[in-house]
Amino acid sequence: MSRGESSPTGRSRLVWFRSINISLARYVIQGLETIQRIGAFTLIALGTTITKWNVARHVVRPLIREQIARAGVRLLPIVGFLGLALGFVIVGQTVALLSRVGATNLTGTLMVSAVVRELGPLVAALIVLARVGTATVIELGTARAMGEVEALEALGIDPIHYLVVPRLIGMTLSIFMLTVYIIIVTLVSGFGFSFLQSVSLISSDYFQQIAAALRWTDFVFLGLKSVAYGTLTSLIICYHGLAQPIRLEEVSEATTRTVAQCVIACVAIDALFILVYLLV
Amino acid sequence: MNTEDEPPQAVIELSAVSVGHPRSPETALLESVDWRVMPGEFWVVTGMQGSGKTALLETAAGLHPFQTGTLKLFGHTVTGTEGDEFKHQRRRLGVVFEGSGRLFHPLTVAENVALPLRYYRDGTLEDVSEEVIPLLELMGLQGMANVPSGRLSRAWAQRVALARALVLKPEVLFLDNPLAGMDVQHVRWWRQFIHQLSLGHPQFHAKPMTLVAACDDPRPWLELGHQFVLAHERHWRLLGTRADVLANREALVREITDAIF
Repeated sequence: MSRGESSPTGRSRLVWFRSINISLARYVIQGLETIQRIGAFTLIALGTTITKWNVARHVVRPLIREQIARAGVRLLPIVGFLGLALGFVIVGQTVALLSRVGATNLTGTLMVSAVVRELGPLVAALIVLARVGTATVIELGTARAMGEVEALEALGIDPIHYLVVPRLIGMTLSIFMLTVYIIIVTLVSGFGFSFLQSVSLISSDYFQQIAAALRWTDFVFLGLKSVAYGTLTSLIICYHGLAQPIRLEEVSEATTRTVAQCVIACVAIDALFILVYLLV
Repeated sequence: MNTEDEPPQAVIELSAVSVGHPRSPETALLESVDWRVMPGEFWVVTGMQGSGKTALLETAAGLHPFQTGTLKLFGHTVTGTEGDEFKHQRRRLGVVFEGSGRLFHPLTVAENVALPLRYYRDGTLEDVSEEVIPLLELMGLQGMANVPSGRLSRAWAQRVALARALVLKPEVLFLDNPLAGMDVQHVRWWRQFIHQLSLGHPQFHAKPMTLVAACDDPRPWLELGHQFVLAHERHWRLLGTRADVLANREALVREITDAIF
């Protein structure tokens, strides 16, 4: 035994390290278990979406439209506002700097890298999560706590089909569409701001730079990324609201847990796509 | 072979079933439940609060997993892993849950009642209105068709839940403490309506419906029920017919049936 371990300070350090390791191991195991459960829920939900695509269309499709209106159309004003702000911030911070070093020809490339590849899908997903996702966890968690899921089962209605599938499709489509809108608004507002800043950047140059910076893979990955964000966040939201027995007092905790896990999932997807971008 | 000689098949059959708590199925609320419910019978399950009546009803309806034993619904063994075939069997069962009936709050009264029909027939509200409107009229709910279900009082919400459970014309109806907290008018209406179902209502196959009612207070059901059961301290005990219950001198049975507040 070393001298350090035998002394009181050494022993307390050892205990501290052990407790840290145990806590870390517990977090890792809990995290893996959560991933496993969400994975199983994802398979069930996607399986139900495919196998029951044509079941009860007159019931489920209005619910999908309702979700698109809720998570997409009604969020257009806030998406427009954030797009404007984002364009101002990015151009405000970068164009002046680029013009100082005579590199305004990189503005379009910068906008594509920052907005199309990164911020557009992420901001759209986070807006939907904040404005609709949290409300959905509360709504589903309350329905679960009040026994409405058992009521659906008692009527022979598949709760995944009735409650999850419309939200999965609605939120995924909404995030995809909001991503497109936020990108367009940001790119246009970015040019507007550079114009206001009296930067020597004419509109045709700006949009030509953007067109030149865009590759076909950007369109493919943009679609895949926004769909991945939408699918995963909506499934995590529905999982926490529905997939496990919950009491009314646990709904608020489930909501905060959902937000944290959705943000982690979005960052993980983003990291994955950065790797793919580098490889392609 | 003469089919008349065959004994009638039980609609619900529990053999040595251990009924678990809904939130933690490994905790047994009732043990070794052996129960056969025959077509047209009216069973009343009574017991104190927390004795496992609701869990028993939901287990018998195939809504909760159970630890041990076997459950058969209409002769089909329920294992908990059934697919759509079992869902078809489940449509033959109706459940009215305790409290406010677990209505779907974003929907109106008519939408709640119509939902099962719309789901199975893949139709709009208008497509099923020919069946929904007469049912709402029968239940005295026609004036509330467009009222959001969240605005209803508990008694009316229970009635909507009854309409929703009956809209698919089930063969078996489970009622979980339906009279709790109701005023005398509602209690009278429920007793008359359930009695009609028990005898055979013309709108529901015109033959006696199999009924299972759980209740804290069995007195309103004494004249209606055919068989009575007591759930107490993890045991399930058959009390017999109304005459047997009234003749039973056991202290607990007397306390439940003769309660003076």
